[in-house]
Amino acid sequence: MVIQSTRLGQLDVPDDLIIKFPAGLPGFKDETVFALVPHGNNSPFYFLQSAYDPDLTFLVVEPFDFFSDYEFELSDENQRELDVVDLSQVKVYSIATVKDKVEEMTANLIAPVIVNWKTKIARQVVLEHVPYTTRHRLFPQGFPKNAGGGEK
Amino acid sequence: MLALTRKVGEQIIIGDNIVITVVDVKGDGVRLGIEAPKEIKIYRGEIYQAVVAENQQATMPIDVEQLDVLKDIVKLPPKAQR
Repeated sequence: MVIQSTRLGQLDVPDDLIIKFPAGLPGFKDETVFALVPHGNNSPFYFLQSAYDPDLTFLVVEPFDFFSDYEFELSDENQRELDVVDLSQVKVYSIATVKDKVEEMTANLIAPVIVNWKTKIARQVVLEHVPYTTRHRLFPQGFPKNAGGGEK
Repeated sequence: MLALTRKVGEQIIIGDNIVITVVDVKGDGVRLGIEAPKEIKIYRGEIYQAVVAENQQATMPIDVEQLDVLKDIVKLPPKAQR
């Protein structure tokens, strides 16, 4: 699928990276189709680019790399809506907010984006009874000197 | 907006299958019971509004080049995850 992005240019996105949000996202109810574009090779960061609004781009991140204690329960109702048969088919992303400095970026842990990777149906779920907020710093100590904890 | 006055124990019925009951009133707090079909999402207004506001802030206003510094960050090996 060819997608126009104001920030990323023209993208030719393979079908398996096209994700549908039947309910849109909170604040963006009409945006139901997005492309998940990796920021780099083996990066935990991705762009979530609207398929139809070139101006609408989110930065998302795989939260467990940064918040090792992060956990929540996906309600039966959410599992049903996403047709989740097996939790191994679920991927979790957090929407990141960058204001001034990239190193002060935050992740929204109270409203994770849950993707059924088999069907590519997704939903931004607002969690209840969790100790999380919309803003958790990814780099509370600033950027790691030797950026990244993983191996290249 | 429709505004209704209710007493403790009284109800409001919305449509065919949503029932809101005033369970308790203490000071300036009102405890409501809500019965609704499972597919109806119920949120505390301020939490949902906070997510809406955060999503609106999160739409990328900045230059993508600024994010180049993130390119050195790679995924943790699978073992270290979760």
